[in-house]
Amino acid sequence: MTAMLSVEHLTKTYATGFPSRKPTFTLAADFTIEEPAIVGLMGPNGSGKTTLFELITGSNAPTSGRVLVQGRDIHRIRTDERDRLAIHYHQSYQVRHFRSLTPNFMLEKAGSDYPIVHLFDEPQFNTQDGYIGFMLDFFRKLRAQGRLVFLCVHPNERFHLEILQEICERFIFVQTGSVTPMPDYASLIAHPPVQAYLGDLLTERAA
Amino acid sequence: MALFEATHLHKRFGDQVVLEDISLAFEEGQVSGIMGPNGAGKTTCFNVLTGRYKPDRGRVTFDGEDITGVAPHRIVAKGISRSFQIMTLFDEFTALDNVVMALPSTRRRGFDGLHALDGDSAAQDRAAEIMGRVGLKGREGVNAKSLSYGERRALEIGVALATEPRLLFVDEPTAGLGTEATARLTDLMRELKRYTTIVVIEHDMRFLFALADKISVIHWGQVIAQGTPDELRANRWVRRSNIGELANA
Repeated sequence: MTAMLSVEHLTKTYATGFPSRKPTFTLAADFTIEEPAIVGLMGPNGSGKTTLFELITGSNAPTSGRVLVQGRDIHRIRTDERDRLAIHYHQSYQVRHFRSLTPNFMLEKAGSDYPIVHLFDEPQFNTQDGYIGFMLDFFRKLRAQGRLVFLCVHPNERFHLEILQEICERFIFVQTGSVTPMPDYASLIAHPPVQAYLGDLLTERAA
Repeated sequence: MALFEATHLHKRFGDQVVLEDISLAFEEGQVSGIMGPNGAGKTTCFNVLTGRYKPDRGRVTFDGEDITGVAPHRIVAKGISRSFQIMTLFDEFTALDNVVMALPSTRRRGFDGLHALDGDSAAQDRAAEIMGRVGLKGREGVNAKSLSYGERRALEIGVALATEPRLLFVDEPTAGLGTEATARLTDLMRELKRYTTIVVIEHDMRFLFALADKISVIHWGQVIAQGTPDELRANRWVRRSNIGELANA
């Protein structure tokens, strides 16, 4: 069976300077998710979470490597149809735009109306209204329909961790451009860099 | 079959998907609520349902007839009304004239409608009949500003009924209203429900929970949850929220 998502030797390097360009940031990722799942993605601000989402949805071109959504190379799909395979729900209206170098007529059709991979970038979770519950149910529904859900959260309150623990079956931790897959919540919070990142949130009692 | 149905609506502006996949059904005689946080796609949804925007994919039907992409004024002519100012009266006009002005026959005449209608006894009779239905018989000649609080409310219902909608869309009715005015609006809408089918688009969960028979929650341009107020309130995170505390009190 074809994997839901294969991120193969993917790198993205940002560089500045002239005439010799010096790399300022490199993101490297290599992982496969075989089955439909809800995957929690966490990491500090600036660690590369949004860049990883942009590479998976094909809006941002990798320096090397490739992304396969159910076997289809996202960067070989027409730019106006890539969100029919993988869609990025942005955290705000500040959407970064990238230029594509290959004209659409040389690219493939998506062949899908509704996205296979759904990437939720820091949804607004607050306990004042009840929307969290509806959002979580929706993630479960997508997964039950055989889709792959990424939930990117930068936990700054205890209940953010509760949400991740409640709903995510596996995790990805991103820090300074390195991407570490974790099979479950227990191994996530046992990982020393994650412990350092979460700090007090792991020990505080729920309010 | 529901009175109004939308199936698999998809709408994008440029490279942004605004409605990913929206399916809704509004049953005759019910109040249906559409709820969602800011930026969820509620207004675009409203504009697609009422004909202002044509969806890129999907279908809208009213009473079994396909009205996808039909111009707003043609949709209104079919008996679907959109209300933005449900509580607005013309203070200097009589109660009866407020109702006369809202009648479809007056509206067809344009700006000078009221003037031209002075001698239109059919319109006067129709308005008087609506006045009776909302309990304002005998108060026809009183200026709107001189009516009591309760009478004004009754007149507002009369004005909404005068447009004779089979389906009334109301967009963000609580916007700018305080607690008291919102409570008053809730009563008014309950009253209206006896005469027509209503769809309310609203971000105020508390208001919709008090009013709607069925609620669809929209986020990310999709219906993420759907149910009666009781079903939605049963959600663990809703119970934990301010809304839940209020509902459980």
